[in-house]
Amino acid sequence: MSVANGEISREIGDINLAYMLLAQKLVKQDRVAAMFRLGVSSELADMLAGMSLAQILKLAASNFLLCSFRLDEHASMSAVVGEGKDTMLQQAHMSILMSARSLQTRKAAVPA
Amino acid sequence: MTHKSVLGEVREVQLAIQLIQLGARLQFLESEVGLSRERLIRLYKEIKGVSPPKGLLPFSTDWYMTWLANIHSSMFYNMYQFMKIHSDEEKVWILIKSYKLYLQQIAAQDSEPILDFTRAYTMVRFFDSDMLQLSTCCRCSGQFVAHAHDHKSGYVCVLCRPPSRAGKARGAKRGAAGEAAAGIEAMGFGVEAAPGGAGLH
Repeated sequence: MSVANGEISREIGDINLAYMLLAQKLVKQDRVAAMFRLGVSSELADMLAGMSLAQILKLAASNFLLCSFRLDEHASMSAVVGEGKDTMLQQAHMSILMSARSLQTRKAAVPA
Repeated sequence: MTHKSVLGEVREVQLAIQLIQLGARLQFLESEVGLSRERLIRLYKEIKGVSPPKGLLPFSTDWYMTWLANIHSSMFYNMYQFMKIHSDEEKVWILIKSYKLYLQQIAAQDSEPILDFTRAYTMVRFFDSDMLQLSTCCRCSGQFVAHAHDHKSGYVCVLCRPPSRAGKARGAKRGAAGEAAAGIEAMGFGVEAAPGGAGLH
């Protein structure tokens, strides 16, 4: 049991590390495009770009996944996945929903 | 340009090159790039190897409502809007950037771009002049391109409720239709010309 847990933790750590490194690479390449792809605010994007490898390693070594589902509503998720859609349409739908979500989070953040 | 700086001119030429490579039409180049028409035509010929196409730019919002076009238009406009909000670059560069992002997205999906650069630019103008709007689908909560002043409540997008014939005749027919449409465009007729022609009886 504890062995299996250790393995899961390591797998989570691996994904976290890969995710953080990819995110940093994207931000360094093209900040706005990365914000769009990752769905993060400009503040977070700048922070990602400025993180040292040591900081990333420390953050990645966690029992929790750092990335989460971006289609976090059942309705959206089932709309994209549903009824044997062909891949192209599914991707297109996903792209539209993702953009709407990043914009929504921003809109929600602005009036406050 | 009133005062000619060499660097400024280099920037204009670079902008023109980018735009021509993306498929911008001469009318667009003339309004966005501060170079003479003659130089733009020369640049165009040098890059594309052919003279710029003549004829009108598309002027109807209806094209954006057809099934696949609506999907692609919505994809692009969502990207454009994101870029517009978050990037502090000039409008024309935002257009270039978001159109490139759209092309990347399409390439990643292994499909063909449906929205050409001219259509993308025209769409942005339609939005600016309040002829198009984004409507939120009540099923998937995605935002889709729609006619302005359409009812916003109860809107269901083309992906959640595809028209019955959508995607049926694709494949073989899609290739042929695409070529035919491209041919019509090259001759200078917009797709808008078609309904008028069909109206003769």
